[in-house]
Amino acid sequence: MTDVHRTVDAVWKLESARIVAGLTRMVRDVGLAEELAQDALVAALEQWPATGVPDNPGAWLTAIAKRRAVDHLRWSERLERKHELLAREPEPEARQDDVLRLMFVSCHPVLSAPARAALTLRLIGGLTTAEIARAFLVTEPTITGRIAAAKRTLAEEGVPFELPEGPELADRLSSVLGVIYLIFNEGYSATSGDDLLRPGLCLEALRLGRLLAELAPHEAEVHGLVALMEIQESRSAARTGLTGEPVQLHEQNRGRWDQLLIRRGFTALLRAREVGGPPGPYVLQAAIAVCHAQARTAEDTDWAQIAALYGALARVLPTPVVRLNRAVAVGHARGPQAGLELVDEVADDPALRDYHLLPGVRGDLLRRVGRHAEARSEFHRAAALARNEAERAFLLRRADEVAVDETDGPTVGEAAEDFLGRDDLDTATVRSYGQTLRRLCRTVGERTPLAELTADQVTRVFATAWGDAAATTWNRHRSTIRSFGAWASLGDLAAGLDRRAETRPRTPSLTPERLEELWSLDVPLRERTLWRLLHESAASVSAVLSLDVEDLDLDDRRARADGTWVSWRAGTAQLLPSLLGDRTSGPVFLADRRPGPGRMPAPADLCPHTGRGRLSYERAEHLFKRTTGGTLRQLR
Amino acid sequence: MRFLMMSMANDSQPDEKLFAEMAAFIDEMTASGVLLATGGLEPSGVRMTSVGDEITVTDGPFAESKESVAGFALVEVRTKEEAIEMCRRFRKIVGDGVSVIQQVFA
Repeated sequence: MTDVHRTVDAVWKLESARIVAGLTRMVRDVGLAEELAQDALVAALEQWPATGVPDNPGAWLTAIAKRRAVDHLRWSERLERKHELLAREPEPEARQDDVLRLMFVSCHPVLSAPARAALTLRLIGGLTTAEIARAFLVTEPTITGRIAAAKRTLAEEGVPFELPEGPELADRLSSVLGVIYLIFNEGYSATSGDDLLRPGLCLEALRLGRLLAELAPHEAEVHGLVALMEIQESRSAARTGLTGEPVQLHEQNRGRWDQLLIRRGFTALLRAREVGGPPGPYVLQAAIAVCHAQARTAEDTDWAQIAALYGALARVLPTPVVRLNRAVAVGHARGPQAGLELVDEVADDPALRDYHLLPGVRGDLLRRVGRHAEARSEFHRAAALARNEAERAFLLRRADEVAVDETDGPTVGEAAEDFLGRDDLDTATVRSYGQTLRRLCRTVGERTPLAELTADQVTRVFATAWGDAAATTWNRHRSTIRSFGAWASLGDLAAGLDRRAETRPRTPSLTPERLEELWSLDVPLRERTLWRLLHESAASVSAVLSLDVEDLDLDDRRARADGTWVSWRAGTAQLLPSLLGDRTSGPVFLADRRPGPGRMPAPADLCPHTGRGRLSYERAEHLFKRTTGGTLRQLR
Repeated sequence: MRFLMMSMANDSQPDEKLFAEMAAFIDEMTASGVLLATGGLEPSGVRMTSVGDEITVTDGPFAESKESVAGFALVEVRTKEEAIEMCRRFRKIVGDGVSVIQQVFA
């Protein structure tokens, strides 16, 4: 990038939200407005290197973009109506609330959460697709596609460029806040990779939040979110150690907390309180963050107050993670035993199944109540679930720090390995057993001594991991556990697990009346024959479609397919000769057309007489569905 | 990244128009989340010199008033170019003179 390019980029990022918002007011289409604004940007990149940067680059960009918009409106058929609009809106200079409208559009609930985040960074933050892609660790085409799809959805759904009112406002606002906080968190804690922080995104989110706070000053939750982000961001320098490992809040060097941001956080929370009303989730979270920020040392932390705030938060936002955090606070305020009781209430929540902080927190509380062996095993579990290297190393160190009398005998992890390593198991079984045992290890901890594994624990693993699974899945895991228990001489580990009835939801067969109706329909010979054959043979659809002419024994009314016999009766026997004609080999049921050169099927699926391919399952199913609305299986 | 912009005093006398434009500019920059802190500085101040164990405190004003900082702004921006752009806008309001922009390290 040359200097001019960098200047253009800087001006663009500062101005794009207002330019796009003003243009959207003119053309009433976010996608089009953004394209017009991009045109202006391209013009700047072309002209500024020669002419120099204009005195007021923002106004220059706005003027060019506006001219493009007027050209577009002239060109479009709706000329007259737009003249009217233009007469009413002589200046595309965005009104202050135009940017707010734009935010409501880019965070509209018709869009998916990732689309909202990408579009908001693009339209409000002025980021390029490459920058957004880098921030979210995805490829550039992914973001390009995501943004294009989002614009299309907005146009198709006719999302208006206006400020929501009344009861709609709360929902729409919470969507905007959610998007901003998502962007912040994406930057605050990278979910993968070795980098714990992607600070650029935090900064973008902070800017979006501060901007929103000025645009919507009468919404307490907006100030709450800003306060929360300012204070979380104030700790960014202190929350990683020299080697990039996470430093827990109570161990952070508070001297490295950014007092400027903390003060901004306090101010924002005060503004939220001035607005009044019952505190919402962001205000409560901010209040908790403020409590931490106010403590000069970790020991000074007002845990009673924080526990009370978490109690209030758990009432408005009863998510498992909030309840887990509440347990931590209570663990400090009223002792580890009280905290442990609350943790155990959420421990079996499926939503926390792979959440490394749950065993991390539990391990810490167990250590404090003196249950060292369990604590250690929880830290190992947490390390196995941690999603970045720094945290994994940290948790493993915590595990090593817990003093434990080494137990004799194998651990669950070792036993599982031995069980799977036997040479009398085939690959499919090993794979299936492996799924069950890996989950078991991950949930109870692979360092847990095998001898301590109880049926009770297994029951809890099952409820958490497969409580909602289909009966067949449940039963498969259950039988694995039973044979593992028997092999390890632990008795019936599945004692608490009922075998589930495998009721396959069968589609009811067609009634005789419906069948009569079907036979009387005027459908092509191929369909007529196929349907008859399926009905009379009760064979599977794929078996019937796989039939070749040479397989058919027309005299005995049967054919060999997929290792079984398909046999039919008079109805099919009547139709088959006409369907086959002179053909002596190749698929019995043929597609309508010859395959295209790019989609040539295997020779076995080609008819040597006609060059057509075998009728596909999908096509056969489609034709039946189009005629009857049902599925071929109902013919059995 | 954060930048500290320091502007040196110039001879012009601020008038009503300048105050109004400055207020609007500060509002706008605060609203867009860029401006973290700003303030004007008293012209004189004190100067402290430390030599060995000896501390000398001298009261202002000092001779080279053009080199003394009259005001500062702490901004949070993505790039140095954004900081320069902010400063350019500021100078358009306050008129000719010198500003110094330096990145602030945490």
